[in-house]
Formats: sequence, C-alpha cells, structure tokens
Amino acid sequence: MNKMLAVLKREYLAGVRKKIFIVMTLLFPLFLGGAFSIPIFMMGRGLGAKNVAVIDGSGQLRTTYATPDEISKAAGGAAGSMHVEYVDAKSGPDVDAASKPYLDRLIDDRNRQKLDAVLVVPASALDSSDAELKFYSRSAADIITQERLVSMTNRGIHAHRLALRGIDEKEATKLLASANVKSVQLSKTGEEKKGGGGNLIAGLLLTGLFMFPSFIYGLEIMRGIIQEKNDRVVEVLVSSMTPRQLLTGKILGTALIGLTQVAAWLLIASIAAAYGGAMLAAGGLNLLQFLRPSMFAYFVVFFILAYLTYVCIYAIAGAACNSDKEAQQLIAPITMIMMLPWFLVGVLITNPDSSLAVGFSMAPVFGPMTMFLRTLVADPPLWHIAVSVAVSLATIALFFRVTAKIFQVGILSYGKRPTIPELWRWLKVA
Amino acid sequence: MEILSVRDVVKVFGDVRAVDGVSFTVRSGTITGLLGRNGAGKTTTIRMITGIFFPDSGVIDWGRDDQRNFRDRIGYLPEERGLYKQMNVVELLLFLAEIKGRRGADVRRSIDRWLERFELGEKRGAKVEELSKGNQQKVQLIGTLLHDPELIILDEPQSGLDPVNMVLVRNLLRDLKNEGRTILLSTHMMGEAEKMADDIVLIHRGKVVLDGTLEQVRASFGKNTLHIDFEGDGAFLGELPTVKHATIVSNSAEIALDEGADPQRILEAAVGRLRIRRFELASPSLEEIFIGKVGADTLQEVA
Repeated sequence: MNKMLAVLKREYLAGVRKKIFIVMTLLFPLFLGGAFSIPIFMMGRGLGAKNVAVIDGSGQLRTTYATPDEISKAAGGAAGSMHVEYVDAKSGPDVDAASKPYLDRLIDDRNRQKLDAVLVVPASALDSSDAELKFYSRSAADIITQERLVSMTNRGIHAHRLALRGIDEKEATKLLASANVKSVQLSKTGEEKKGGGGNLIAGLLLTGLFMFPSFIYGLEIMRGIIQEKNDRVVEVLVSSMTPRQLLTGKILGTALIGLTQVAAWLLIASIAAAYGGAMLAAGGLNLLQFLRPSMFAYFVVFFILAYLTYVCIYAIAGAACNSDKEAQQLIAPITMIMMLPWFLVGVLITNPDSSLAVGFSMAPVFGPMTMFLRTLVADPPLWHIAVSVAVSLATIALFFRVTAKIFQVGILSYGKRPTIPELWRWLKVA
Repeated sequence: MEILSVRDVVKVFGDVRAVDGVSFTVRSGTITGLLGRNGAGKTTTIRMITGIFFPDSGVIDWGRDDQRNFRDRIGYLPEERGLYKQMNVVELLLFLAEIKGRRGADVRRSIDRWLERFELGEKRGAKVEELSKGNQQKVQLIGTLLHDPELIILDEPQSGLDPVNMVLVRNLLRDLKNEGRTILLSTHMMGEAEKMADDIVLIHRGKVVLDGTLEQVRASFGKNTLHIDFEGDGAFLGELPTVKHATIVSNSAEIALDEGADPQRILEAAVGRLRIRRFELASPSLEEIFIGKVGADTLQEVA
C-alpha cells in the first residue's frame, strides 16, 4: 500500500509540474470561453444598432415602424435598436426601381449612410395573400434582423387588413398579441424541474469534459508506461513491488492529475459563472434557478467512472506495445469505439428511455457517459443508475487486472507488438 | 550462513530453456560471482530471484530469520540502467528508498552520506538528465544500496564504465564486503570476477557447469597451466606438442597442457624463438577454466 502510494505521489508530482499541465489548466478555459463568447459577441453585434430601409409599395405601413418592436422590448432593450428608414414608394413608378438606390447603399462599403438591410414590400402586400416580401442583406447569417423586421412588417400588414374590415387599431393590437412560452420539464414524480434548456447546454458541456481529460491523460499514461519499459526503470520498480501495486499507483496518480485539472477548470468556470451570475442578478436574473445541483453530483460520479475506464484502456495499450507509434495505431480505432455515445448524443438525448439508451447506459465503457446524458434529459430509475455504476466499477477492476497481467509479461518482452492471440496467451499465463 | 538458496529453478521462454535446473547458494558476507557468457541465463536467473519472473519450477528460498518482504531485502542494479530523468537526484533517491519501505530523516542522512562518498554532493539538486552517464550510474548504485539491503544484486555493474569508474566499483564492492554485506555479482568478465569473488557459479546454456569457492575451483584444476610473457611472435606456441589449448594475446600466453606433459619441453621450444620475460606454472585463470569446461566451440560465440 505504501509502495503504491509512493508511486502515486511520484506520478502525481511529476505530472502537475509539467508545463503541459499548467498550460492546459489555464489555456483550456480561455479557449472554451473564447469559443463561447465570440459567437455571443458576434450575435450581440448582430443585435446592435442596425440601419435598415423599408421600401413600401403599399404606402400604408409608415406607423408600423414608428414604435419599438416587441423583440427589443423582450430583450430588455439590451439588444440594441434598429433604425428604420421608411420610403413610401406608392407614388413611384415601381417598387423595384425605387429600391435601387437603397440596394446600392447596401453594397457600397464606403457610403457613410451604409445600410445593413433592405426590405421591399410590394404594393399588393395588403390585398393579396401570396404577396412576397423581399429581404436584402449582406450577411446570410443576419437572421435576427430579418426576423425582427419581417415580424414587425407582418404585424403592420395584419393590423391594416383588420382595419380594412372595420376593426379599430386598439382592438387589432389585442387580437394580435401573442402568448409567451415557458418551457417546463417534469420529473417522474410530476415535480417541475428547473429550466431544461440551461441544464442541457451545461450538461452537454460537462459531457464534453468527459472526453478531453480522459484522452489527454490516457495518452499520458500510455506514453508513461511505454517510456518506463524503454527506460528500463521498471526493472527496479517491479523488483521492489508487485506489478499490481505499480500499475495501481501509476494509473491512480495519473488519474488524480486529470481530476486536479478538471477541478481547476470547474473552479475557474464557477468563478466565471459567479461573476456572470452576479452581473445577471444585478439585472434581476438568478442563474442558479436554471441549474440543478444534482447534475453536478452525477457529473462527479460518472466522470470519475468514465475517466478511470478510459485511462485503463490506454494503460492496456501502453502495456501491450513497445513504442508510442504502435500504441497509437492500436488505440485509434478503440478511441472511436469509446466515443460512440458522443456520436450518438443526438439520438440518446432525444430518446433517453429507449432500449438503445438504456442498454448503452448499463454497458461497460459506454455506461458512464450515456447514463450521465440520460440523467440530464430524463429521470432514469435509481436501479438503472446503480447497475450502471456497478458495471463500471467491475469493468475498471477487470481492466486493472488485465493491464497488470499484460504489463507483467509485456514489461520485459522486446521486439514487435504482440498479436491478439499472443496477448490472450499472456493473460492466461501470467 | 546462507542468505539465499536457489534450488532447481527452471524458466522456459517458448522453445528456449533459458534457465534449466539452476541451483546454488549465497553465503552471508561474501561476494558470489554469477558467471557465464552473454545469454547464458544469468539475467533470467536474477530476475527470478528479484521476483520479476516467476520460475516455472523450482524454489527461491530466502530463509526465515528476516520477516521483511524479500523485495525489501534486496538491492538490485539491473544490467539495463534506467532512472527517471526529470527528477532531481535527492527526490529520486528518496523515491527509490520509499519503494523499499524506507523513509524519514535517517534515509535523508543516508543519502547525504552516499552522495559525499561518491563525490556527488554538489549534484544533489541537479536533474538526473543533467548528470554525466557515469554519474547517473553512481546515482543508481546509491539507489541500490540506500535501504541497507541484506543482499546486493548487481547485474554487470561494470558494463559501460570507463577504467577509472571500473576501479571505483571494484573498490566499492571490496568496501561493501568488508562492511559485512553480501553481494551477488553477475558478470561475463571473468578477470573482474576473479579479482573480487569468493564463490563462483558458472552458468552455461541455462545450467550450472561449475560452482564452489574460487580457491576450490582453481585447485581442482591443478597447476597445469603456463603463463608466459614474451617478446616476439608467439603464434607457434599453440602448435607445440602436449599443448591442449592456448590463449595468446600479443605478448602473453596462457597455455593449458595435456595431462602429464612436461612444461620444460615448452620452455625449451620457446627459448630459441622468443625473448622470455616470465614463465610461470600456475592454476588456470577463470577464463581458462571456463573454456576448458564448456569447450572451445564456445570461443567463437564468446567473441
């Protein structure tokens, strides 16, 4: 036990002192933060002040654009304003001709009165049901501006059509008011769960976390074992302890490095979230009402199970091979299989109680990640969770034994990588 | 008193019987030389003693007077050296002691003493990879001795050393023996073994072909070997009648004679053609004994 701890301590200290560890610990949240905040920033810019022109062939919609629309009201005004340049084209010869100078302003980057979008409303818009609005913009992704402008315009058109049938404007506004949607997720016992959407996004992020540390530290332990065989340090080690003690110390030491890293990431994330949460709270929003604490508990349990399973698989590859190159060839297809639940994430979260999802969640290797996904989107029975945890623990124990045996025989074998039948023989002999 | 007795140990790899019924004992306070050419089965035997391999059959008997785990009772210097290159010297040595179940202040004191003894005091904070190869070997040797092992097992401790360090190791082994330690020394260098070993175990193709104290072994071969130092071309010495076998190296020759041969005849033949500086009738060297025992056919293999 003490020997195992000595190895564990050495592995851990050697690991956390490496530059890669420090760089990864600090850089990854930065990278992830960037990956999320840049699109949000871009979207924010998309929601920022926009100059648009409406070329109205019907000449009836001027008042529609005079009041701020509901979308910007819903966003608390933070979404920024839209400046609408209204052009009455009824008196003109033809809407398309009237829109020409505005389309030029849309294209011309040097024009000081540059437009972000142009909406062309045909003369027939109020009468005909198959009239077509035309939305011109430079960016295909500017869906938000399009959505806002078109819905404003349609509300205007609807109001006018109603007015033509003798319903006054106040009445029309009431008739056209749309109901808000609040999405509620129910648990098995019928209780309301806290906001589903926020949990799902946070949960998927956490699921992504299942893989990165596992793969990084899996490779690390694989290389560590191979390097030890090549450096022949191992001969001194296994003459001082059993291969089982050595491997347990090595795997747990490396596992702890990864857990330290994830803990650091979660710490950074929660500081960021607390900061962001405080900002939102100042704006009257409580972030915590969206997140379930149970999600984090499940995360810790299933992450550790997944992590140990994956790391053991890498350890087996390391024990069986004599060079990094060989081991990588061996591990590449295995990694793809290990990631199967991730590839199936769409299917699994939309059908969390299907037999596929239930089967996967209780299978070895796939179990932890699938089960975590299921707890995110559904409410699996406790015995499913218990079976999943038990299967994972058994798998890890088995993998430890297999690794130790292959390691013991493989340590001092030279030359080429063993074939599968040879590995099988090793398992039986050792 | 015997510290270790190996009885009828067998290890088979595939079709090769790497170790085929080896038995010997190691007496407390002595240096036992485990001899044989490369591939004879020495390292495999040692790996079974150190618990790296399980023997297919046979017994490794550690006696019963010491309750410690046998792994903690040995200090092992493998033939292929290896250290954690990123660690600094003291950390590494602490680790090596810890995996032998030793930690605390006395281990630190012991590290300081050994580093001084090997003139590595200033290097204590250096990373292993910053040390010269010779110094790395010294560090590993310290790691082997740090936990006061009952049995020190050294596999080819002098391979890859320069002459100065070879002498250093030789002196160290002598000192260790004088301190009452027990050493199992595996080597293919017969000359070195002859200078240090009390007991020898000669292994060839997985079997013990000869064992006993060095004195016994040499005495049993009698004084029928000529050691001649000379000037001139001594190649003809091997062709003389009654010469069973001759090893001629530039200006000296070791000549094994047939039973009952008269050394005087050889001297007479040599005097006419060579300038003789030394002519001695003595026991054969270990090298000669080895060759005599396993046959001249192995000469090529040795070379």
